[in-house]
Amino acid sequence: MTTSSNRPAPESTGDPGTVQTDLLRFLEKRTGRVWATDADVFGTGGLSSLFAMELVVHLERTYGISVRGADLRMENFRTVLQMAALVERLRPPASGGPGA
Amino acid sequence: MREAVAAAASAVTELVGDRAGDWDRTGRLPEDVVRKLAAAGQLSAQIPADHGGPGWNSADSGEFTAHVGSLCSSLRSVMTSQGMAAWTVERLGDPAQAADLLPRLASGDLAAVAFSEAQAGSDLSAIEATVTVDGDSLLLTGRKKWVTAADYADLFLVVARMAEGGAVVVVPRTAPGVRVRRVADPLGCRAAGHADLAFDEVRLPLGSLLGGGRQPLPLLVTTALAYGRISVAWGCVGILRACVAAAAGHAGTRHQFGRPLAQHQLVARHLADLWTAEQIVTRACEYASRCWDDNAADLATAIVLAKYVGAEHAARGAAAAVQVLASAGAQDGHVVARAYRDAKLMEIIEGSNEVCQLILADHALSRR
Repeated sequence: MTTSSNRPAPESTGDPGTVQTDLLRFLEKRTGRVWATDADVFGTGGLSSLFAMELVVHLERTYGISVRGADLRMENFRTVLQMAALVERLRPPASGGPGA
Repeated sequence: MREAVAAAASAVTELVGDRAGDWDRTGRLPEDVVRKLAAAGQLSAQIPADHGGPGWNSADSGEFTAHVGSLCSSLRSVMTSQGMAAWTVERLGDPAQAADLLPRLASGDLAAVAFSEAQAGSDLSAIEATVTVDGDSLLLTGRKKWVTAADYADLFLVVARMAEGGAVVVVPRTAPGVRVRRVADPLGCRAAGHADLAFDEVRLPLGSLLGGGRQPLPLLVTTALAYGRISVAWGCVGILRACVAAAAGHAGTRHQFGRPLAQHQLVARHLADLWTAEQIVTRACEYASRCWDDNAADLATAIVLAKYVGAEHAARGAAAAVQVLASAGAQDGHVVARAYRDAKLMEIIEGSNEVCQLILADHALSRR
């Protein structure tokens, strides 16, 4: 295949704002509550460790990343902002970007 | 079942032969049996091929686990521990640790994962074992209870407290300050090598912390237990398959009141319920394994569901099988007597029935 067409999916979720919006939607659907981007989802009255695992799986599956080892720290999962930052850091650079 | 899985299953059938009853009575698995399976990578069949493992998916590994569980739950428990250790390294370790440890676990080294303590069973937030950084090394101190397969293990993966969070520490059995004391006469899985462990200021290299440590304790435990729970659930499928075979075999051939037991309706109901239990648990496990292989969002819940359904049905089914066989099966070492005791333990380990119920209730509530 030598056509110039690329898979569109990675670009469509390329910006951090979209990741945050998606995560907020996922949290609301899963918990029935509205969350702020800086709310501590595991704080008092927050979510279970089982849900932490569900979040890890969701991030891996949605953004094609692998969260392993030292990245499995609570500070990467506590808020939507932190989760979006983790996704940005782990996601392979978009095709056509620097270093491609 | 794929060809490789079917081949491994017949090989292990031959390896175990008719010895599982003796292993239960003596409380020991022969070292050569455990080492042989470990060396073939078959105690942890999901270790990826690029780390020297068989690289099976969860569905195939689960079917194999059920098969081993139908032969001997003690051997299956050792397999659960080894697989859980490998998964914990794969998930929590950094790439260098995975490259070091996984090939060892795929080629003969045995490992056990140490969670429970005297005051920290279901409530693992009460763990007191602690690891600290001391200069350019680590110090681990603590006591662990009822660590499955520990008596056979070369390596212990110890869940400990570290600063504000937790850590999994890889400890060689031979490290100074490590003591292993076998649990005497466990109720079930009698040959699974349960042991209590003591770590007195065990000094270890910094690289012994999987992923550098300081991860949240609940996340560490949930991650490691994910493998343990799905493996136990498949083990329960095995227990039920062994019970169906034994109960159907006996009820089809033993005559009372002039006809086979199976033609007495109250006995026939036991057979129907046993087979139904085996089917239900198989479906729950297949679903959980599919979620595992697809990394589906429902994975965490599907695993707890399979473990809960598996343990409850195995315990009830094994009791029914003993009822059908009666005096023919009511003796230590007999397949249904083993199933009866082994299944009871399945309702306790890797999250008791009650802990699973709490998790599932929480899930139901959060889905309103």
